[in-house]
Amino acid sequence: MRAFGFAAPSDLSDAVGLAGDESAFLAGGTTLVDLMKLEVLAPEQVIDINRLPLRGIQAGPDGLRIGALERMEDVARHPAVAGPYPVIAQALLLSASPQLRNMASIGGNLLQRTRCGYFRDVATPCNKRSPGTGCPAQSGDNRGHAILGTSSSCAATHASDLAVTLVALEASVRLRGADGERTMPLADFYLPPGDTPHLENRLRPGELVTEVIVPPLPWAGTSVYVKVRDRQSYEFALASAAVAVDLHDGLVRDARVAVGGVGTVPWRLPAVEAALRAGRSHEDAAALAAAGARPLAGNAFKVTLVQRAVLRALKELAGPR
Amino acid sequence: MRSVNREDGPVKVTGAARYAADHHPAGLVYGYVLTSTVARGTIAGMDTGPAERAPGVVAVYTPFNSLELRPDVRDDTAEPFAPLQDTRVRYYGQVIGLVVAETFEQARDAAALVTTRYDAERPRASFAAGLPAAVPPPGGTPETDVLAPGVASIDEALAASDVTVTATYTTPAETHVAMEPHATVASWSGDRLTIYTASQGVRLAVERLTESLGIDAAQIHVINPYVGGGFGNKWGTWAHTPLTAAAARALDRPVKTVLTREQVFTVIGHRPITSQTVSLGAAVDGTLLAVKNDGISSKSAANAFYEPVADLSLALYGSANLHVSRKIVTMDVPATTIMRAPAESNGSFALESAMDELADALGMDPLDLRLKNDSPIHPVSGLPWSSKHLEECYRLGAERFGWSRRNPRPGAVLDGDWLVGLGMATATFGASRSQASIEVRLRDDGRAVVSGAAADLGTGQSTVFALLAADVLGIPVDRITPVLGDSATPPAANAGGSGSTSANGPAVRLAAQAAKEAVVKLAAEHEKSPFRGEAVTYADGEVRGGDDAMPFGELLALLGVPEVEVTATSPRHPRREHAFRSFGAHFCEVRVNRWTGEPRVSRWLCVVDAGTIVNVKTARSQIAGGVIMGIGQALLEDLRIEPETGRFGNATMADYLVPVNTDIPPIDVDFLNYPDTLLSELGARGIGELSIVGAAGAVANAIHNATGRRVRDLPITLDKLL
Repeated sequence: MRAFGFAAPSDLSDAVGLAGDESAFLAGGTTLVDLMKLEVLAPEQVIDINRLPLRGIQAGPDGLRIGALERMEDVARHPAVAGPYPVIAQALLLSASPQLRNMASIGGNLLQRTRCGYFRDVATPCNKRSPGTGCPAQSGDNRGHAILGTSSSCAATHASDLAVTLVALEASVRLRGADGERTMPLADFYLPPGDTPHLENRLRPGELVTEVIVPPLPWAGTSVYVKVRDRQSYEFALASAAVAVDLHDGLVRDARVAVGGVGTVPWRLPAVEAALRAGRSHEDAAALAAAGARPLAGNAFKVTLVQRAVLRALKELAGPR
Repeated sequence: MRSVNREDGPVKVTGAARYAADHHPAGLVYGYVLTSTVARGTIAGMDTGPAERAPGVVAVYTPFNSLELRPDVRDDTAEPFAPLQDTRVRYYGQVIGLVVAETFEQARDAAALVTTRYDAERPRASFAAGLPAAVPPPGGTPETDVLAPGVASIDEALAASDVTVTATYTTPAETHVAMEPHATVASWSGDRLTIYTASQGVRLAVERLTESLGIDAAQIHVINPYVGGGFGNKWGTWAHTPLTAAAARALDRPVKTVLTREQVFTVIGHRPITSQTVSLGAAVDGTLLAVKNDGISSKSAANAFYEPVADLSLALYGSANLHVSRKIVTMDVPATTIMRAPAESNGSFALESAMDELADALGMDPLDLRLKNDSPIHPVSGLPWSSKHLEECYRLGAERFGWSRRNPRPGAVLDGDWLVGLGMATATFGASRSQASIEVRLRDDGRAVVSGAAADLGTGQSTVFALLAADVLGIPVDRITPVLGDSATPPAANAGGSGSTSANGPAVRLAAQAAKEAVVKLAAEHEKSPFRGEAVTYADGEVRGGDDAMPFGELLALLGVPEVEVTATSPRHPRREHAFRSFGAHFCEVRVNRWTGEPRVSRWLCVVDAGTIVNVKTARSQIAGGVIMGIGQALLEDLRIEPETGRFGNATMADYLVPVNTDIPPIDVDFLNYPDTLLSELGARGIGELSIVGAAGAVANAIHNATGRRVRDLPITLDKLL
């Protein structure tokens, strides 16, 4: 960890004004501090944003609003979340450990960095960390890597469970920068790696996520997050499925489906949703979950696994069909 | 059987216990090791200038600016070569430098400024690629055959069997990940070294430092009363320890070096990769006629230890014909070393899986097959077992677990979306009694101090000291002060090979008995003694003579004798007439998701025949701990070596998976508690390793029963069950 400057502003404009190319915002610190210790990140200035007024969990006519500094555990337990959006609560509670969930913020969760072992080890090349150095994961240790949205430059998996559910629910993020405020669908926020895996999202330098907005979805109460992993807790997903269904007389009339642990970004599955709307069987719909997958040597099993994760979610919500 | 709390429980849960890294002598500076980022080659140069100019840096040691250290030529589980004495790189993650600074952070940050140039060579880093060229270990016995009269070869015995099975079983590299990372604090006073270092035996560290530093053992004092787990990785003394001691000598300041979690993965050794091809032949009634196991283990080029993985096949089941072979694949990887039940843990996975496959082929219940081949004698030596009650373990366990409710047809039991299966396997581990010396001091405050250079890795050994001494001395357990982990105390047994209690237990009793006799003699002979000239006896902590009785503490206070000190030595057991082993039976239930394949262990029972159980409470934890580690071995643990680079692909605790609480079901443990009086009067054999042996086999067998899938390659992850 390198020496750094530190500021803890209590005003949003001050925070954004302080930020520059070589600064980093600190909320829960559960990603930033780790990566600073590993020398993956070495910001010249750390701006602690915990004093900013970015709190609050509110359900209103335009949906659910969650302040970016709300902690994962608090959001998961909030009545405005747990009842109407079980998929959000489950995704949060299946993440990390209670200690981490008590620290980690919602904004930070959406911006957490990949768990790729090469990204986190400065002794190895990594196009995401050091553009142009190469991607050892293509032929190296890649059991946990992505099969969707990959490129020859990067196959790192997006690590957030929450982001998968929010993409399924068509949530947006509110952003605040020196030029003012803007709102963007989360699905557009993330960038697949392509030739520029170091560019992970559309945040401008110094811009801050201030709020998450989940639009109303009356049938989001019939939703589930299935997370599949080697051990039962405290591990990232090998594959996960966030599914909500509009269920009438046991039949799925509409659905939202996104998957995690398999994509370089949270991966919405419109083809699966369309198949379900068209009345096709759960099996037929789930079989479309890995369309376009490009597995590597160690993660070909994820093709089947992600299909099964979607199928399992559908069966849990709608019973066998 | 007695059951008491750990005597060191309160200091551990309150944080008062001081582990190696918790020592801060005045003037302390901090070391941070540099490690190699290629697996094989030579170091062409190191640029240490920026690090040397960094704030707080005291020294930067490299092969080009080294500390004097000598190689350790003893046969050991660690590395014989001394760090920084040459520019050779033997594996990825080898210690190639030490940065010393005023604070830990300064040392760590300066270390990141060092740049190293290598002349790299292609490493031998693929076990699979090395298998065809596997060779017998240098100096080892290539194979062992036991054949019935008139049988020419094991293959002939297999061909003559009614039913045979053959399969190859493989296990990955594993690492110990003990909770406490390795740490050493070294300080010199003149030519005398005091060192706090995480170790499974303080005398082991003394021996290594004697060699490395070229000084006499009498100049070295190693202190380490508390150890945060070992599992074999603190048996050897690794590079950071002599390096830290040498740096402290050169700088004339105390130095502390704590390995980071990532560094522990490579600076310390790991459990080897293994492959075993097992053939079993049996008569139609299940009688084993031939047992054949060709075992191959990975072996680091950096040290001498190798794992004879197939050898358990010579000891567990009776068979008229047995064959084992031993080969190694030499690799440019960190040291291969001992890890809980070395060889036998991996060996049992293959043998216990093969027994299940044989039972299938015979159409026999796997438990009946094991009962059929339970042998009253060691299959190779022919010696009778000293005390073996394995059949009782099987029968009691089957009854208690409900084994009769197992559906013999695989894949037949479904509970919701979960396939349910039952499995069982045999647990076993060798037993011995080494020499051990213990000192007992009876003090004038009525307490007794029991000392010996043993180690308590979290096992409960110090409580065993207290319990056994209290029994002999007839005083409450809380009036005993055990002192372990100090090289200035008598040479008790180190913590390894499940041999602590079997050796130290008898020595504690001998020393306590001798202390009683010494205080009786004092009472009868001391000129101020009220018992002088009487027939003095000792009972319940009191000296008695005539009609009077007096607690020993009061007597010592009255006589002005602060303490009575005796040392006793319990000799090594020669093991000439009997074979000694502990045994047990594992039973488990596993559930596998029918869609996504996750295997989850849902029930466990282990019935244990390990001789006398001194303290049920800590013994139970030992057995449960071995089962938990076995579940990790079965389902999770896999230290992945990149074949191209020799780098460990998952050398962090986030990526190297061990079980968490939710992975572990309630674990039921039952002890038969038959004293093994042929091993010692105490009759305790040892339980540190027993229960990991067979655990992975039991899980694999249950998964087969649940799903019909026979997975012969550990760990059994969900991708193998989809």
